[in-house]
Parts: sequence; C-alpha cells; structure tokens
Amino acid sequence: MIRYLAYRAALAIPLFLGAALLIFLAGHYAPGDPVQTLLGDHYNPQTAARMRHELGLDRPLAIQFVAYVRDAVTLDFGTSYVNPSWRVGDIVRQTLPISLGLAALAVALAAAAGVGLGLAAAVTSGRAADRLIQVGVLSGLSVPSFVVAAVLVLVFALHWRLLPVAGWGKPQDYVLPVVVLAGAPIAYITRITRSSVAQVLTEDYVRTARSKGLRAPVVLLRHVLRNAALPVVTTVGIAFGNAIVGAFVVEVVFNIPGIARIAVNAILQRDYTVIQTVMLVYTALFTAINLAVDISYAYLNPRVRY
Amino acid sequence: MAQRTLASILAVALVAVIAAGWPSASAVGQVAGTFRTPLGGEPATLDPYFSVDSSSGPLTALMYTTLVAFDSGGRLVPAGARSWDISPNGLIYTFHLRDNVKFHGGRKVTAADWKWSFERMGDPTLKALVADVVLSGVTGYDAYQKGAAEIAGLKVVDPQTLQLVLNPSHRGGFLNRLAYYAAVVLDKDVVEKGGKGWFGTRDAGSGPFIFKEWVHNSRITLAGDPNFAQGPPKISRLELPIVTEASTQLSEYVSGQLDLVQVPLADFQRIKADPVLSKELFVAPRAQILFLGLNARVYEAFKDARVRRAIAMAIDRAKIAQTVFFGFYRPANSIVPPGIPGFYADYKGLPYDPAQAKKLLEEAGVAGKLPPLRIAMNPFTPIAQMAGEPIVAMLRANLGLDAQLEKTEFSNFIASLNKRTVYQSFLTGWSADYLDYSDYLDLLLDSRSVLDRVNYNNPEFDKLIDQANAAPTESRRIEIYHKAEALAVQDAQFVPLFFSQFAMLKKPYVQGLETTPMLSGWLPFTRVSVQK
Repeated sequence: MIRYLAYRAALAIPLFLGAALLIFLAGHYAPGDPVQTLLGDHYNPQTAARMRHELGLDRPLAIQFVAYVRDAVTLDFGTSYVNPSWRVGDIVRQTLPISLGLAALAVALAAAAGVGLGLAAAVTSGRAADRLIQVGVLSGLSVPSFVVAAVLVLVFALHWRLLPVAGWGKPQDYVLPVVVLAGAPIAYITRITRSSVAQVLTEDYVRTARSKGLRAPVVLLRHVLRNAALPVVTTVGIAFGNAIVGAFVVEVVFNIPGIARIAVNAILQRDYTVIQTVMLVYTALFTAINLAVDISYAYLNPRVRY
Repeated sequence: MAQRTLASILAVALVAVIAAGWPSASAVGQVAGTFRTPLGGEPATLDPYFSVDSSSGPLTALMYTTLVAFDSGGRLVPAGARSWDISPNGLIYTFHLRDNVKFHGGRKVTAADWKWSFERMGDPTLKALVADVVLSGVTGYDAYQKGAAEIAGLKVVDPQTLQLVLNPSHRGGFLNRLAYYAAVVLDKDVVEKGGKGWFGTRDAGSGPFIFKEWVHNSRITLAGDPNFAQGPPKISRLELPIVTEASTQLSEYVSGQLDLVQVPLADFQRIKADPVLSKELFVAPRAQILFLGLNARVYEAFKDARVRRAIAMAIDRAKIAQTVFFGFYRPANSIVPPGIPGFYADYKGLPYDPAQAKKLLEEAGVAGKLPPLRIAMNPFTPIAQMAGEPIVAMLRANLGLDAQLEKTEFSNFIASLNKRTVYQSFLTGWSADYLDYSDYLDLLLDSRSVLDRVNYNNPEFDKLIDQANAAPTESRRIEIYHKAEALAVQDAQFVPLFFSQFAMLKKPYVQGLETTPMLSGWLPFTRVSVQK
C-alpha cells in the first residue's frame, strides 16, 4: 500500500509538468494579450511595451515557461498580470478554501440525500415512491445548473425573499449555491445507489440474513448498504469533481469570491500566471480525488489490494 | 462500514467548511448612513494615474481631488482650487487653492503637492496613461519627457497659489482636461513610503471618501471624510461590492441588497413596465457613441470615399434606434456625443438614402462586385450585436452586399483592433474619459493618434485639429472642431450610429444623487443621503 502511494505520488510530477506545459502553451497561443486587454481603449504602444517588459512577457516563451516552473517549485507563483499588487499564491489561499468548502457541503448534501433516496427507491422498487424518485433523478440529470440557479433565485430570493440573491459572508448565502451544486450529484448518487442496492438485495446472503430473523433495517444497513457501497463511493468522488467544476457557473451567478470565478476572469483577461496556477490547483485536486477513491476501494473491499 | 464512510465524508466536509471559515458578516440589510452600489469588476489598480477602467475610475473620483470639476449641469466649477485667473493672452492660469483641503493623513494640501503630483504623472519612466491628456497643454511637458528636471510651466507661486503656463500650440480645452477625474493631487508621503503597491492598503487622496478596506474580488469599502473641504458627505459608509454580472446586480437591487445600479439595456423595457421598479428608474445623459469603423487598410474598396459613404447611407439609424433600441438610444448624426461641451446639435450628417447609396456604388464602379464584408463586434455588451444584425440586413437589402457579423471574445477583439490591420470593419463604442472634444476627434481620428483604429488619414482633418488646439478662445476652437467633425462624417471611415443614455435604478430612500455623462454616470456622492 505504501509502495503504491509512493508510486502514485511520483506519477503526479510528470502529470503536473505536462499539465503546466499544455496550459501554458494554450494560454499563450490563444489570440489576445493580457497587456492590451488591461489597457483596453487606453492602449498606447509605449505604455504597453513598458508593461510587457515589466511582466517579462517580452522574453522567449521557453524562458518564460522555465522561469514559471522554477518559481512554482518553490511555491512562488508570481503576481497577477492584471493586478500586479496581488500575489497569485495569496489569490489561491483566499479563494480556494471558499470553493472547497462549498464543494464539500454540496457533496455532503448530495451523498446524504442521494444514498437515502437511492435506498428508498430500491426497497420500494416498482411502487409509487420509486417512480417519483426516478422522475426526480431524471430531471436532476437533465436540467442544467444555470437554469436551476435562476429558478431558485426567482422563487426563494426575489419572490419569497427568504434568501439573498447573491453575495458572500453570511450562513444564509451558502444555501442556494450548495443546493444548486448538489442537484446533479444527488440525482446520479440516487441512481447508482438504487441499482447497486437492488442488485445486492437479490444476493443469497441477504436472504440468509433475513431468514435468521434480522430486522429489515439491520439487514439493509449492515449487509446490503456495505456491499453496495463500492460503486457509490466512486460516484461520491465524481460528485466532488463535479461540484468543483460546477462552481464555474455557480460562483459567477451567485457572485461568490471563490477560485472558479477567479479562473473565469483570468481566462477572459489572459492573466497567464493566475490561469496556470489555478489550473495546477485543479490538476492537484482531481489527482487527489482519484487517489482517495482508489484508496477507499481497498478500505471497503478487502479483495482489492494494491 | 458504509455508515463510517458516510460519517467520514461528512466530517471532511465539516472540517473543510470550518477551515474555510465563515467570513465575518458585513452589514446586513440597509443601515442609515450606509450607501451601497456595485463595481462591475475587480479594479486592476487604485493608482489614480492608471485608473482608467470603469471600476477604478469612479473610485478615484470618490477619494481624490481635482483642481476644477464639472457639475451635473456640465458647468466647470471650483474643486481643489477655489478660483482661478487667466492672463489677458489666455496662456497663464493662476489657481488659488482652497486653504482647507487636507489629505486623509491630515496634512494640508499645498501648491507644492500639486507640482509634485503632476510631475509624477508626467514622469517618462512611469508612462502614466493619463499624462498626455492632462499635461500636454503645459509648457515644458515635452522637454520633461526628454529628461528635463521639471515641468517648466508648472510653478509654485506660494503655498496656496499654483500657476500653469500653457503651450500655445496645445492650449485647447485646458480646463476641461484639468477636470479629468484622473488629474488629482496625491499625498507624496503615502506614495513614496508605500512602494509599488502603495494603493493596496490606503489612499493618497483628499477627496470626500477615505479608503477603508479592499477584500480582493469581493468588495471595497470607503468611509466619509468628516474633514472634506467642501463639507462632510452625508453618508458615513460607502459599500462597493464587486458584482461582475449585470443580471446579478439587478437581482441584488430588487432584493434590497443594493441601493443604486445600472440597468442592462435588455432589462430596460421590462423595468419600465414594472409598477414598482418603474418608479425607481431614471434616465441620465451619457457621453457615449456607438459607431461602425470602416478600415481601408484591410478592405480595399473602402479606399474610395464613395463606397464608405454608400455604406453609411444604407443604414437606417432612426429605424434601428426605434425598433431595436426602443427609442432609448438616439440616432447619431455627428461623432462627439451630447454632454461634451460644444455638442454639434444642429448638424444633419449623412442621411439614410438607399437610392443615393446604390448610385454611389455604381459611380465607384463596384456595384454588385464588392467582396463579402466581415463586421467584427465588440463582445463587451450585447449592444454591438443588437445593432449589427439589422445593419447586416440593411446592407444586404439596400446594396446587395454580402455582410457578415464576426464575434470573438474581448481580449482578442481589443488586440485585433489595436493592430489596425485585422478587421475590415468593426462595431464598437467610445465613452468619454473627460468632457472635451479632444477625447473624440484628437484621439480617435487624428492620423497621429495610436487609437486611430479606422486608419483615417486626411491631412486636412489633422490640420484642423492643430488649429483647434491652438485656438485663442473656446468658442473659436469649437467652430474649428465642428468643421473637422463634418469633414470626418462626410469621409465616413468612422460612421456614427447611436448616442446612448444611462438608465439607473435608485431606491426611493436615496436622496441627492447627481449625475455626469462620464464614467458610471454619477458624481461623487457628496450630497447623497440615505433616509430610512
């Protein structure tokens, strides 16, 4: 297991370098230029040249990349091109916890609701409750998050005035974004839980457990859910990834100062240092999620060994 | 075990949330004395000499002092200077400073501070974006650019008297340029001690509001300065949350989280029809034009003025203004918009005349032979596209020209525009930075300007601009400018389309708001009060 972990950790180095290179090249070869975007209608070649020089953008691409990697190794990600008084490391430190907190809450909600609904659907298979949950799953999967967000804002914030439209800082600011981010994950965690539980319910050991007189809830929690958990855990991992990606919409709509909104702005403004660093953070996050899912397999299923 | 997994997921989630921390809650709801209006984006800088975007520009106006300013009626009024004298030959301006202007650090503002500030602005190694506008009219500015120790025409007579000697060939619109929101005095101590990012934690200003807090990407908070020279503001706290989406700004206003917002054009009619919101809606003048640029350097046929004029005359501006912009935008016959002193109100421009337009193409020998024309649109707002679609249809119907709209994202659009050799034609706008004719004609059409993005190059026009800048009186100057403007309209490389307006929503409890045709449309909130 330790060897496996070391191997996975070592694998992350070429992965990061490759990702950094791809992001770097894509960013620099895309049309547009941070200096001109920044100056906009106040463009002036001399000012632009001075800014370009100060930012080091007049150096050859290869040198810019090597300098970036060299600094990044020491966790110095430089300053934002768009706002030179702002260090990229500080941007990540300030915004990442907000996005992670949001994602964690959404996944927690999705896992709790999804597993509960999935179980309910499996044990009521074919009956009205099951049908109703299935319809809910279908709509949860088909309605995009920006539509859900708009409808929830309309109903809960503008019509009933129960929650703020957007903003950040107070506990009630979390409610709508978390619900929107959890929407789709609830749907597929429900679906996976339902099919996984339904399959386990047909196993012999479930019949044995029942026949030895165990009460239904005990059978369900101790024997069924545990054996049905493997695919569900994978889905929860995916849900976390999904919540991070979904933040690109949710943070913009709800005006949340998280890392996804930073990423969107940085891309539109060609803020190379910020784009590169944020994308490296995302690479690290997804690598970590995958690793966590793999490790949880071994934990949940003794037959899996690395 | 599954329960344990679930429990650990929940635990991780909780820890993450606690790690993220609930940021300290800001003021909930509206409190007396607090005024809330959004910024459209994170300001790139708060150094006034580089603050030219729509987020940082208004902040400069709130925290800093200019020598003179425009009031909401477009008249020049005293600001940092209480009065000024002009020598008989019109070349020496003597400003008598108010003696109660203090920097937010407490030090009194003197003429030496103004000299230091303007010399910092003109520092050739700093390359401040606003220097040419403010200082090119002062003698010695050119020499200072080439290494002279000081700007010779900038003189400290005594601590309360500042004298500016004008450059005779570039005297035009001098006071209008001094009223530029960026032409402010800075506290030398703050700038020099603060290093490169000095503006990140405090301001160097003497304006009505003091910098309090900048939570990056989230909000900026200012406080009213009780010592402000022209009387303390009536609001004690100014909250400026950064809200990038116009629709989110609007929703936050409707739900009571904001007190003043701009209305996106697409929502204007809905709001006008809304029984509650229509009472809070108001329209204010705006110095902004939407235009079509025709670039002869890329589209060969545009080298012939008749072809360009034909394009201009095939577009029914009045109809588009009425149907697409529901009369909120008005057809533009001239280039410089209303709100700029000297606006050429009675100029008729090129009429909509499709038959004449066709004839012009025939005379030029290109009728039915023009290659497809691509029109690039500024993607910053949907407005260019709203105007572009009917224009394309009219060019097809009236001239048989295969015109197509081209959409790209903003960074690419600006870079291509600045290259001046990429777009055949483009749809974009220009908003006033300062209220003067030169912000349009000198900047956008003089062949020596880097922002002459349509590549207009008419020596006669350039000569008129020089004459205007050297004109002895403001009225003579405007006469010459009107000549130049008419020439440019007839040459039709810069085809004026529409003049826009501001539409804003303001809560009924907000009193005393004054508007300006520049920037975000409001003057610093010195007279604004919040009565709840």
